Amino acid sequence: MSDFKLDMEVNGRRVSKHTAGHLRLLDFIRDELDLTGTKEGCGAGECGTCSVFVDGKLVKSCLMPVAKANGAKIETIEGLAGTGVLTPVQRAFHKTGASQCGYCIPGMVMAATSALRENPGASAEELKERLGGNICRCTGYTKIFEAVEIARDVIAGRVGTQALEPEGAGDSYIGNNVRRLDAPSKVSGRLRYAGDMTMPHMLHMQVLRSPHAHARIVSIDTSEAEAMPGVECVITADDVPGEDGFGVFVHDQPIMARGSVRYVGEGIAAVAAENVETARRALSKIHVAYEELPAIFDPEEAMQPGAPVIHEYASDNIVKHIPIRKGDVKKGFAEADLIVEETYQTQQVEHAYLEPEAGIAYVDHDDVVTVISPSQNITHHRHMLAKIIDKPINKVRFIMSPVGGGFGGKEDMIYQGMLALAAMKTHRPVRLVYTREESIISTAKRHPARITYKMGLKNDGKITAIQFHMVSDGGAYGMSTEGVMRKAAILSCGPYDVANVQIDTIGVYTNNTPSGAFRTFGAMQAQFATESHLDICAERLGLDPFEIRRINMMRDGAFTHTKQKLGSVSLDEVLTAAETSSGWEAGAPDMRGPARKDLGGPGTREPCSLGARFEASSGKSKRQVA
Amino acid sequence: MLTCDQYHMPQTLKEALVLWNNAPDGSRLVAGATDILPWAREGRAGDVHLPAMIDVTKVAELNGYKVADGRVRLGANVVFQQFLEDDTLREHLPCMPYCSVWFADDQIRQQATLAGNIVNASPAADGTPPVLAMNGEIELARLEGESVAVRTLAVQDFVQGPGRTALQPGEIITAVTCDSMAGYGGSFEKVGQRRSLVISAVCATALVMTDPAGQRLEDIRLAIGGIGPVPLRLADIEDKLRSKTISRELITEVSMQPPALVASRTRREYRRWVVRGFVQAAIEDALADAGHPIAPALPKEAEHV
Ligand code: FES
Ligand code: FES
Repeated sequence: MSDFKLDMEVNGRRVSKHTAGHLRLLDFIRDELDLTGTKEGCGAGECGTCSVFVDGKLVKSCLMPVAKANGAKIETIEGLAGTGVLTPVQRAFHKTGASQCGYCIPGMVMAATSALRENPGASAEELKERLGGNICRCTGYTKIFEAVEIARDVIAGRVGTQALEPEGAGDSYIGNNVRRLDAPSKVSGRLRYAGDMTMPHMLHMQVLRSPHAHARIVSIDTSEAEAMPGVECVITADDVPGEDGFGVFVHDQPIMARGSVRYVGEGIAAVAAENVETARRALSKIHVAYEELPAIFDPEEAMQPGAPVIHEYASDNIVKHIPIRKGDVKKGFAEADLIVEETYQTQQVEHAYLEPEAGIAYVDHDDVVTVISPSQNITHHRHMLAKIIDKPINKVRFIMSPVGGGFGGKEDMIYQGMLALAAMKTHRPVRLVYTREESIISTAKRHPARITYKMGLKNDGKITAIQFHMVSDGGAYGMSTEGVMRKAAILSCGPYDVANVQIDTIGVYTNNTPSGAFRTFGAMQAQFATESHLDICAERLGLDPFEIRRINMMRDGAFTHTKQKLGSVSLDEVLTAAETSSGWEAGAPDMRGPARKDLGGPGTREPCSLGARFEASSGKSKRQVA
Repeated sequence: MLTCDQYHMPQTLKEALVLWNNAPDGSRLVAGATDILPWAREGRAGDVHLPAMIDVTKVAELNGYKVADGRVRLGANVVFQQFLEDDTLREHLPCMPYCSVWFADDQIRQQATLAGNIVNASPAADGTPPVLAMNGEIELARLEGESVAVRTLAVQDFVQGPGRTALQPGEIITAVTCDSMAGYGGSFEKVGQRRSLVISAVCATALVMTDPAGQRLEDIRLAIGGIGPVPLRLADIEDKLRSKTISRELITEVSMQPPALVASRTRREYRRWVVRGFVQAAIEDALADAGHPIAPALPKEAEHV
């Protein structure tokens, strides 16, 4: 490997080291200097978690070979302020609650610092533009932009430093701006996520993944990989000592593929080696023979008789079917003046938390197998792992590291088992950090759904019956599918009081990437269908969309179709708030003239364009690109 | 993951040319390196090991720019952010700030070079249409015995197809030269999948020079990318507009023409729709930049109905 002599100044201190010249500046900062406030969210220049200053210019350190930074002055998040002190930008982030999971925050603070150094008087629009290379998945950006504007005004002396001080909480935390306790560690980059942690004598894990959607594993030959210098162990399903299988409801997923693979990206074997490069090279030395099997990618087809069976225990490929019946839909449809039937479809969605999956496992002095990871469900994982590795529960420990965004996507125990097995086999700490690509290809997604919606209504808008049929792609393993189907069924008809309903939600196995938990847990898919359907019905009946909702809404004391009594229902207030703040132009959806009056008013956002910085400098206003 | 046996950072052009000539097969010459690192990842090239990487960003002769005799000579190490921040470049290349602001983000623009963007020869490269519109030329250096020889090619002859250029083995791009467009109004239009950091689906650029009253087009330059294998200069539309009185009707009329040029194999219908609006928008934005905006025709919403 290329040997390169580096001399640089990092956060005011001289650094002189020999290293590989192709190493990314990011790797050098994190691995050689242990400055882990600089994160790797994507490794491809897309996310900005790796932003650092090189000779005063902010760059993405994942895109810079370290040799380029030779002789340069580097400033990382750790170098912005002295120990125990925060800069105005960092304090403003703390003040507004701009850090949630915090994974994007060091990069955001760096980008905000750069923007204000480049133009201390930048307008709000220009600040947004200058922060355009940094992604946050938690905050929706509002609090971040708010913070940067406060910092700008404090730095310029337009407002006093008291703007950075906490606001009094009064006698209630509710409705008051309360600062987060964990914000200082996030805005300063000091918080260590699992991928930032190291242990003495630690090994690095990489995972071999299936290129096939459905195949039988004929054989796995790991001997060549195992013989490589620097490789400490290779593990496969054969290394599982106990009862293999995990999942949130049904334990249908092995730690690594056992006998067959069921989706592209499924882990087959894992290597633990002295460094990541060696582990990656070892993956190419593992030889797997497959016999491809017919694969199925559409849940409707998967339910047809004769379709390839994905799990032996479920010959119909159904993970879970939740039926709910209330009243008499036949009667309800017979009473209707209008029956509207439509099909709605939602897609698979990736959580894209900024922190890719990562973890460290080790076996401690008392033989306790310990896994540190951003798991959203450590107690459940602990119980499952104990069975899988055949240990009593007191010999299994899970430590939850800070979660750099989860959104449901870190509820499944997809890699913690591999780490535990490798730590048990080598008696050394083992760390695995997913790449962004690996995270996208192999981890659970939001359930795609196809919903057939049939609704009967009276001419005055009153709903007489709903038939709701949802088929959802659960992918190759059960994960949270059962829970998602339950939630979708419970919330299927929205907050509306309907006498006659027939609901079926069906989660189905396919050879797609498994679907799992994701914000709203099935409600979003159902709501998309219900609310779209109501708009269509409003148009057919010549009713205002707000009106049709008011006619049917649940009120205080209503019973849901699963017989839950609702003490108070705030839907009316919500509708009124939405109507007022949007400046809604009353009427049926198709009753407007050529120009809508409720567009472009206060509180609505202009179409997106770039070039705010030119407007400031030239006074010219660029035409908006619609 | 990208690894290599040798990472070189030559200081002079001669040194760089010698290294490049002697580099083992499969070696790569890099400038900003902002494309090669994401390329060597899963889903694209996967893990890549190169015998040598020759990084030209410290080569003194490739730094900086010069304005002389109505031409601007941009050293190959000029990065996109300079087009936004350098007043002289902004004056002489008025479409480039708009091109740059749509190119990647402030951070990547500190590293990514215009020359590197052109030599990658992506059909949708943001940097190529503006250079095409400004009668750009590419300056290429090579070793001839002990001395450095230079040849120059028009950018349309240099970029030959997706990923294909006229670059010969052992050659290094030393500069991009273009007309000085001082006094012109400039614009750049782009659609991609998000605002920052994406490569264009379609992009277009315009440069306009009007008479002092802003009534007549003295000169116009138009180029478009992302509609076929290589970016195109729209010379016949330029001819139809040059020396004409500016009117919305005329601009709308000529903008009907480019969709027919769309030859891309993917999303062809979409690109056709975009292109029509784009050429019009590019001309109108350039007029606004020149200080002579044409009055808006109809409210936007009505146009969409
Ligand atoms: S931009 Fe560097 S890690 Fe995402
Ligand atoms: S706080 Fe920004 S990604 Fe979580």
